[in-house]
Amino acid sequence: MLTGDKQKFYGLLFGIAFSTLLITQQLTIFVNLIERGASGVYNVPTADVWVMDEVSRTTDVNFPMPATALDKVRGVAGVEWAVPHLRANASVRTQEGDLEGVGIVGVDDATLIGLPKNMIEGDINVLAQPDSVIIDDVGVTNLFENGQSPIGERLELNDQRAVIRGIGDSIPSFTSQVVLYTKYSQALRYVPGTRNRMTFVLVGASDGVSPDELTKRISEQTGLRARTRDEFAQDGVDFIIENTGIPVNFGITVVLGFIVGVAIVGLTFSLFIRDNIKQFGALKAIGVTNRKIAGMVAVQAGMVGMIGYGLGVLGTVGFISAFSGVPQFKGFYIPWQVPLVSFAAMVLIIALTGWVALRGVMKTEPAAVFR
Amino acid sequence: MALLPENLSFSRKILPVIALIGLIFAAVFIWRGLPDRELAEPDKEPPRAQGELADSARVAGAGVVEPSSEIIDIGTALSGLVTDLRVQPGDYVEKGQPLFVVDDRAVRSRITEAGAAINEARAAIEEAQTARRTAQQQLQLYRQVEDAAAVSRAEVIRAEGDAAAANSRLKLAQARLSAAQASAGSARTELGRLTVRAPIAGEILAVNIRPGEFVSTMGGNSQPFIRMGQTRPLYIRVDIDEAEAPRIDLGKDAVVSPRGAADQQVKASFVRAEPLVVPKTSLTNSASERVDVRVLQVLYQLPAPAEGQNALFRVGQQIDAFIPAKQSGSSAQNGEGESPVKPASAPASNGAAQ
Amino acid sequence: MSGGEIKTAISTRGVTRDFQAGQETIRVLHGIDLDVRAGELTYLVGESGSGKTTMISIMCGILWPTDGDVEVFGTDIYALSDNELVNFRLQNIGFIFQQYNLIPSIDAASNAAVPLIAQGMDRLEARKRAVAMLEKLNIADQADKLPNQLSGGQQQRVAIARALVHEPRLVVCDEPTAALDAKSGRRVMDLLREVGVAEDRSVIIVTHDNRIFDLADRILVLEDGRITHDGTDMPDDH
Repeated sequence: MLTGDKQKFYGLLFGIAFSTLLITQQLTIFVNLIERGASGVYNVPTADVWVMDEVSRTTDVNFPMPATALDKVRGVAGVEWAVPHLRANASVRTQEGDLEGVGIVGVDDATLIGLPKNMIEGDINVLAQPDSVIIDDVGVTNLFENGQSPIGERLELNDQRAVIRGIGDSIPSFTSQVVLYTKYSQALRYVPGTRNRMTFVLVGASDGVSPDELTKRISEQTGLRARTRDEFAQDGVDFIIENTGIPVNFGITVVLGFIVGVAIVGLTFSLFIRDNIKQFGALKAIGVTNRKIAGMVAVQAGMVGMIGYGLGVLGTVGFISAFSGVPQFKGFYIPWQVPLVSFAAMVLIIALTGWVALRGVMKTEPAAVFR
Repeated sequence: MALLPENLSFSRKILPVIALIGLIFAAVFIWRGLPDRELAEPDKEPPRAQGELADSARVAGAGVVEPSSEIIDIGTALSGLVTDLRVQPGDYVEKGQPLFVVDDRAVRSRITEAGAAINEARAAIEEAQTARRTAQQQLQLYRQVEDAAAVSRAEVIRAEGDAAAANSRLKLAQARLSAAQASAGSARTELGRLTVRAPIAGEILAVNIRPGEFVSTMGGNSQPFIRMGQTRPLYIRVDIDEAEAPRIDLGKDAVVSPRGAADQQVKASFVRAEPLVVPKTSLTNSASERVDVRVLQVLYQLPAPAEGQNALFRVGQQIDAFIPAKQSGSSAQNGEGESPVKPASAPASNGAAQ
Repeated sequence: MSGGEIKTAISTRGVTRDFQAGQETIRVLHGIDLDVRAGELTYLVGESGSGKTTMISIMCGILWPTDGDVEVFGTDIYALSDNELVNFRLQNIGFIFQQYNLIPSIDAASNAAVPLIAQGMDRLEARKRAVAMLEKLNIADQADKLPNQLSGGQQQRVAIARALVHEPRLVVCDEPTAALDAKSGRRVMDLLREVGVAEDRSVIIVTHDNRIFDLADRILVLEDGRITHDGTDMPDDH
């Protein structure tokens, strides 16, 4: 019945698809943006547990510890291995003489634990060469805007020479800051000196010891703050939620999407019902029960809803895949929960507007058909 | 309700199919796009406690390999140019074996000079003795003359003066001889000091001088001339955070692996704990590190490398060590609840401190 | 059905109906007593505002009377519950509306099959019967077309098919000839008589089209809420 009127059908379709697109796409971007707060954690594929000073909050908001903290952590039963990890900010002078803020990540000299999982160019063993750094791929686009290859380029960090010898494949941070990976000992030279330097201890749990249990043991025995990988990732996300207006902004957009959906769909629905009130009256007179009419409308609305929803999700997928090549969108993905949320929103929109529109039909006197 | 259409139309048949295919496509896309957040095993072996230590109470520390004699920085007693270098790094020397020689030409010429002075003094003694003899004979002669008129009084006085003078000259010449001899002895001693010898038996670890270079007793050379030490056996000096120190089970063997070869672990036997707790020296390669941590240094003896095998440990190398902790109930083993002093957040707290 | 020769299809007793217009109460029907016999083609004729729409609505069970009883084939329909009444209409009454009110998004055969499907019949079976009914009305070739692809006359036939497909005992027909020329109008009336009127079935036609008054078995004239004429012919003053 809804498809009988092309304009209204496509109006409904557009309303639902648009609203689904808006909600799905905005939620996706929102989730991905705030998960940028956890990218530092997810870029380290090997650590079960992160140990830090008590006041450290995220990978970027940290306070360094004395070097002996590493040994304290190694002394905890259930710690399979522990390596030092340094994260700090520094300024780099490029060859053109520009100043650029970079994040320095110092990974364990011997094992290189702390590097991203994959390399785009080069091998992680290039760090064995003197003054080597590995740049992340976002850094390549930020520092080398003219598209030249960064391999072999020289930078100046804290009056020290740094030669880029590899490109790491990592998820950019919230601020898309350039990140340089280097050995821990090298990082100490690149970062202006303070008394304590080691910001994190990365820990692997022994077999049979759960990360949760291990974090408890570590904090009890060493007095340091220990977080499992997931907890620490969540800390990063929470930090962004607490300290930026992003949730509010995206929340507003999502609500707008919902309202637009309700408005378009509701309006089209009631127009449709009003235009067809005689037909509904006729059906009621013939002896079709309200419930069957409601069922019929629901099936058709569900049909339209599914189509609109499908197109909306498809639009989001298209959007994400179209922008997957843009560095700022690197690593963006659609969390599987998001389409479910927009599906629920779509069902809600249709149920709400359909119910309001159908109420008119229910109240219609079949006798109206004779007038 | 059965009111769905029968005849094919775009909006009723094709669109739903498109939407369905779109949904399936989207689902696949979403599923494949989910980020890879699997945990991975590290590529290279990180240092880890193994065996019984793997899951029991333990203390970890970083340390450095050193000779059992500690490192001896060889100095020189006298400044000068190096003329001869008798050892090279890696040599194993016996106690007293010459290591290098400082330029001795000046000393040798002083010895020659002293010899000449001795000869001169001896000649002077001869001459003085001769003169004395002549003078005494003349005096004798004058004394035997009875006739007062035959020898004037003045003649006699002059002869007596000659004899006394000759006597004094002899004494002077004798004194000059002893002086020259003393000078020769001192020069010979100095010659010995110009050859620097090994104070103990041990291995030459580093040689920072070359023939022709100037060595000074006043410092000024940035590096020690020669570093040596007893490397049979090697010791390791492990730094333990003072907060962790009370947990150590002193006397037990430690499990030790060199940096970068964590899979090659050896057992090192306990030697002693240094009585002095010292500020932590930097092992992090940072030149300007300041310190507020104090460490207990514990020494362990490394086993000798097996015959024909390359040495795993070298002096100055960094190592990671795991040492068993005390098992007593009051220790902070596993940090579990029974301990009467609950390990709290303060770094100084620990179970064994009570 | 057993009983007398001529059965009563509808019988109303003292049917009144009031409408609320602002503060005023307007009485549209003033206690109508009336019997419609089975096997007859009955006209209900009246000017606009005479109350004939209200009367027919009450007679076919879609409008509650303010007072009075209505029996359709012996059932006191306003004593039924709402659901029973809906079901009663579905089983026993066929409707032909002036504007046909076909569902625009489904084809002719499906439109005609609506009552059967609403009764719960299998969809294919229902469609088959609907096509058979369309065949009877000579528009089986239009079965796959949407209503807006049909001419007015064809749409009316589909509407007639929908009214008759489930073989109701009472067919209510609102101004069937209003939009048709005289010839087509008469053909439709013939058709209705042919397929709708039988021994125990009855057709009521609401009309004031004087071109077809001669085709009625019985004509009831309603004026100002009262039956003013009851006979086989129209009174002369009309």
